Amino acid sequence: MNKQPKTGFSRGKILGSLNFKWRQGTDPWWALVALVVLLLVALITTRSDPFLNILLFVRDGIWITIFITISAFVLTLVVGLIGALGRLSRNPVIYAISTLYVELIRGIPLLVQLIWWYFAFPVVLQGIGRWLDIASLADYRANAVFTAIIGLVVCYGAYMAEIYRAGIQSISRGQMEAARSLGMTYAQAMRHVILPQAMRVVLPPVCNEFIALLKDSSLVSVVAVADLTRRGREFMSVHFNPIEVWTMIALIYLIMTLLSGRLATWIEKKYRLEK
Amino acid sequence: MEEPIIRIKDVHKHFGTVHALRGISLNINRGEVVVIIGPSGSGKSTLLRCINRLEEYNTGEILVDGISLDSAENINTVRREVGMVFQSFNLFPHLTAIDNLMLAQRIVRKRPEAESEEIAHDLLAKVGISEKVDVYPAQLSGGQKQRVAIARALAMNPKIMLFDEPTSALDPEMITEVLNVMMTLAKEGMTMVVVSHEMGFARAAANRIIFIDEGKIIEETTPEDMFASSDNERTRLFLSKVLNL
Repeated sequence: MNKQPKTGFSRGKILGSLNFKWRQGTDPWWALVALVVLLLVALITTRSDPFLNILLFVRDGIWITIFITISAFVLTLVVGLIGALGRLSRNPVIYAISTLYVELIRGIPLLVQLIWWYFAFPVVLQGIGRWLDIASLADYRANAVFTAIIGLVVCYGAYMAEIYRAGIQSISRGQMEAARSLGMTYAQAMRHVILPQAMRVVLPPVCNEFIALLKDSSLVSVVAVADLTRRGREFMSVHFNPIEVWTMIALIYLIMTLLSGRLATWIEKKYRLEK
Repeated sequence: MEEPIIRIKDVHKHFGTVHALRGISLNINRGEVVVIIGPSGSGKSTLLRCINRLEEYNTGEILVDGISLDSAENINTVRREVGMVFQSFNLFPHLTAIDNLMLAQRIVRKRPEAESEEIAHDLLAKVGISEKVDVYPAQLSGGQKQRVAIARALAMNPKIMLFDEPTSALDPEMITEVLNVMMTLAKEGMTMVVVSHEMGFARAAANRIIFIDEGKIIEETTPEDMFASSDNERTRLFLSKVLNL
């Protein structure tokens, strides 16, 4: 309780008038974004060849990266919730299945999982199709974007399940007891009492997962998805200018993660529960 | 004679190796106010929590208004009719005071919005905090929180109210405001089971006082008899401690 003003005070002593601005919430974030954007604009205007060419070439890759990240993230939220409820279930079968899922997935590198979904999963499906004599399955061809999203969702869903589970368990038992003693069913209590509170608790780690997912989405470039990273590699293999290409790609990722981080802070503030 | 609203028959409860309730049998009549006292760890809260099955018991039977607490469906039916007030209030912190009162009315009782709002307003006025209708629990004092919690339970029109040490987490000056609300309820004829060491309340409102120790009912008496001269050595010892005599 007394900690906050104390640190502010000591920092004030050191940084003098800067302290005032910091406590207003004006952190160096804007400066960083301004710097990155300025650098990008400077590069593009002063040396449009190759920088503008790179940007134009990887543009559709940016959209693919955004599309994959957002759709995988939305699905991850759902899979994570189901996984968390399973991990909290008193039903031993449901508990065992969800625990197995979480432990299995967390023990395998994401890259290996993505490769498995792209190369092995279609073969498995085709095998099942031939065995059951279903023509559409037997002729299944992998859609790279689709299998990449599955891979990301299955992997991130396991981590998300553990985040949700911790969030739900952080809500005091009295909340569930109060809800149940008012006659609510377990599901009603979860939906109206526990989850709205747990969601606020898990908001910061969930937002972190979004940024991690955005960065890890670059791995899908290995499994035939023309995302930002893959488009960069394609450009480089023609023009052989690694410094320009990968600096540009890095800056574009940086802008996206910085913006997401800011969005996350804003959402966290909006839904913060008064203590 | 009228059927008791709560019938507890030879209930046993184990927490691992601890034998928390050792064969409790107790009948509580409609409109009766029963205060349960006893040292900490004696099983009084456990007994109370068994009545709406927040705690499972191992053997024995509990009937609430003729319904046995044996299936999930019956348990929910009983919980709708039994209000519970906790030591730690357990208000829903993400909802305003009035929404705390309206939530269960809407989703459990299926009352229309307008009706549940009216009931909520009336009850908040009854417990004396009509000016804090739209305030979140974090902005309420302990006594106010507990009064909202009582109102929340009452909003379900319970036939029975259970109180689990409702004033133990409160500052002394806030205890009175909560006890006054409970006193009003008692006068209105609510069936109440109260685990509490508030001897003033017990003396003024209780029809019966149950003394529990080590999971057994040691003594069952009227407040007059208990305070005048308890025959039981253990009760006397306990009373002398809580009354600071």
